[in-house]
Amino acid sequence: MSDLAVRTEDVWKIYPQEPEPVQAVRGLTLEIERGDFVAMAGPSGSGKTTVLNLLGGLTDATRGRIWIGGEELTGMSERERAKLRLERIGFVFQAYNLLPVLTALENAEFTLLLRGLPKEERHARVHGLFREIGLEGLADRRPGRLSGGQQQRVAVARAVVADPALVLADEPTANLDSVTSDALLDTMERLNREHGTTFVFSTHDPRVMERARRLIMLVDGQIEADERRAPVRGGAATA
Amino acid sequence: MRVLVLLRLAARGVGRNARRSMLTAAAMVLGLALLIFSRALSDGGHEQWIDSAVRMGSGHVAIQAPGYLETGKLEHRLDGEQVGVAVEAIESLAPELGVLTWAPRLSVNGLASSAASALPVRIEGVDPGREATFSDFESKLQEGRYLQAGDGLHAFVGAELARRLDLEVGNRFVLTAQSASGDVEGQLVRVAGIFRTAVMELDEGLVHMPIETARSWLGTEGAATTVAVLVEPSVRTDGVAAQLAGRLGSDTGVRVLGWRESSPDLDSAVRIDDYGDYIFHIILFAIIALAILNAVLISVLGRRREFGILRAMGLTGFETGVVVFIEGLLLTAASGVVGMVLGFAFTWGFFRDGLDFSGLMDSEMSFSGSVIDPVIVPFFQLQQVLVSVYFILIIGSLASLYPALRASKLDPAEAMKFEQ
Repeated sequence: MSDLAVRTEDVWKIYPQEPEPVQAVRGLTLEIERGDFVAMAGPSGSGKTTVLNLLGGLTDATRGRIWIGGEELTGMSERERAKLRLERIGFVFQAYNLLPVLTALENAEFTLLLRGLPKEERHARVHGLFREIGLEGLADRRPGRLSGGQQQRVAVARAVVADPALVLADEPTANLDSVTSDALLDTMERLNREHGTTFVFSTHDPRVMERARRLIMLVDGQIEADERRAPVRGGAATA
Repeated sequence: MRVLVLLRLAARGVGRNARRSMLTAAAMVLGLALLIFSRALSDGGHEQWIDSAVRMGSGHVAIQAPGYLETGKLEHRLDGEQVGVAVEAIESLAPELGVLTWAPRLSVNGLASSAASALPVRIEGVDPGREATFSDFESKLQEGRYLQAGDGLHAFVGAELARRLDLEVGNRFVLTAQSASGDVEGQLVRVAGIFRTAVMELDEGLVHMPIETARSWLGTEGAATTVAVLVEPSVRTDGVAAQLAGRLGSDTGVRVLGWRESSPDLDSAVRIDDYGDYIFHIILFAIIALAILNAVLISVLGRRREFGILRAMGLTGFETGVVVFIEGLLLTAASGVVGMVLGFAFTWGFFRDGLDFSGLMDSEMSFSGSVIDPVIVPFFQLQQVLVSVYFILIIGSLASLYPALRASKLDPAEAMKFEQ
């Protein structure tokens, strides 16, 4: 098995737009190790979200190749990509992350349910995770009755509950206040540390950048800087 | 397992968007309720037309000799033995077939003459006792009385005929017709009663007389031109006709006809009216389909991000489409059930005794040989209701297909940009 969680080779994403096509990602070549905690930063329109969508198989590369955990994503059928997402990738989005028709517990267990795990195991895993990240007692609440921070933590729980090789987080702290952001980052950092889950963030948030072990700067769809840094721990795991 | 997940998501989707679901359901419920109401009323109206026409005509099922329907001539009659066999078959099958009653008739075209005039008429020899329960002539009585058992040289005539022949109850007049031997024979009869039906062809051209008198006069002992059978409801006609034909077999030399064959004009009238209803139903179905399409499509467009998340979680585009499709189906099925119950409840609750249209029409109207009653009693046919529900489900499915397709084709990356 590859030691790389992500590998890309000359990946381009071009949107056919009038009057001129938009080159959102230009020749991205990148390797991310398993268990890394990587932030991709850059100005708006630099291609951060597009890179995450490409890595998650949510959009097709115009050209180039992408491997997730050693498995080549480019060229996969839609069904194969859906399977890959289900089994190996977790997503955390900026906001409105949860399925509004499901409770916190049902949202968090969703990928396990799709994988066909028995109810007892699903609930045991989710409740265990909820305890770890301070969501005890909120399992039966619908997203509308959770705060923004609680919703994001449920989204994180959903992203990591199935032990994916990779979690892609698109500006997860963008709509959170600083205290809630710190608590969420604590949670993700701890999950990274204790479970070895690889996290890749797109972010504008300096707090995320500070905590990243690797910071990749994107400008106009290209890597402008790629800096490996000493990890910055944000304190004890949040409750 | 995944199917159950999709089902659960769809059910929650319907439940969560309660207002949207209720509005969509309301359109479908109203549509189906209206459909059931109009169908019941239409079928009730048809049932009345048919009932009226067959009671005054040759019954829901007519047993005749071959050739009689085409010629109407006495030479194509059932002899006494055939009448006996027919009656025996009817009596033996009556309890299981829903046969209301039966009556023998000996009909012949002839002439009615009085001192005032001579007019062509249809002369029907009837069994007074049986006819009283079969046809509705007794209720159309204008003067005098209907025929009775034991009557001999008595006649029951239409009001217009009586007026033209200048006849009153108790007056005598002569009926002339070709007898079985081919000779033209006359028969003096006395007016026992006068009727008015609102069907002009009956009022000015029909004479009832006791069948035994007619048989004796025409030289056709024991014979009948038709043994008419009444069933309830009329939708059982084909079944009864088939059973009777089976029981009588081909070697008896009789022919069994349903009312659609024996009364082609009435059949055409009912069919034409049915086509009118079908057009109305198609319009109604189209409105319901648009309501479903609109609601489900708006829901899909408004929940793009939700579907994007589902895709990110590992659902395929097809599965996302299936969720939307099931939502549409659930909505349709639930609305179908509620609409059906409401349609029944409304129709039965308010109009079980009939919907009175007498303010919109003359008290007496006729159509294709049947008297139209201004009070229409709804008639529910399970088959019609099931067909309506079936169509609702079909259009619900079809109307959900396009939104489902849209959902399945959503680009998840684009969908995630959508602010819910």
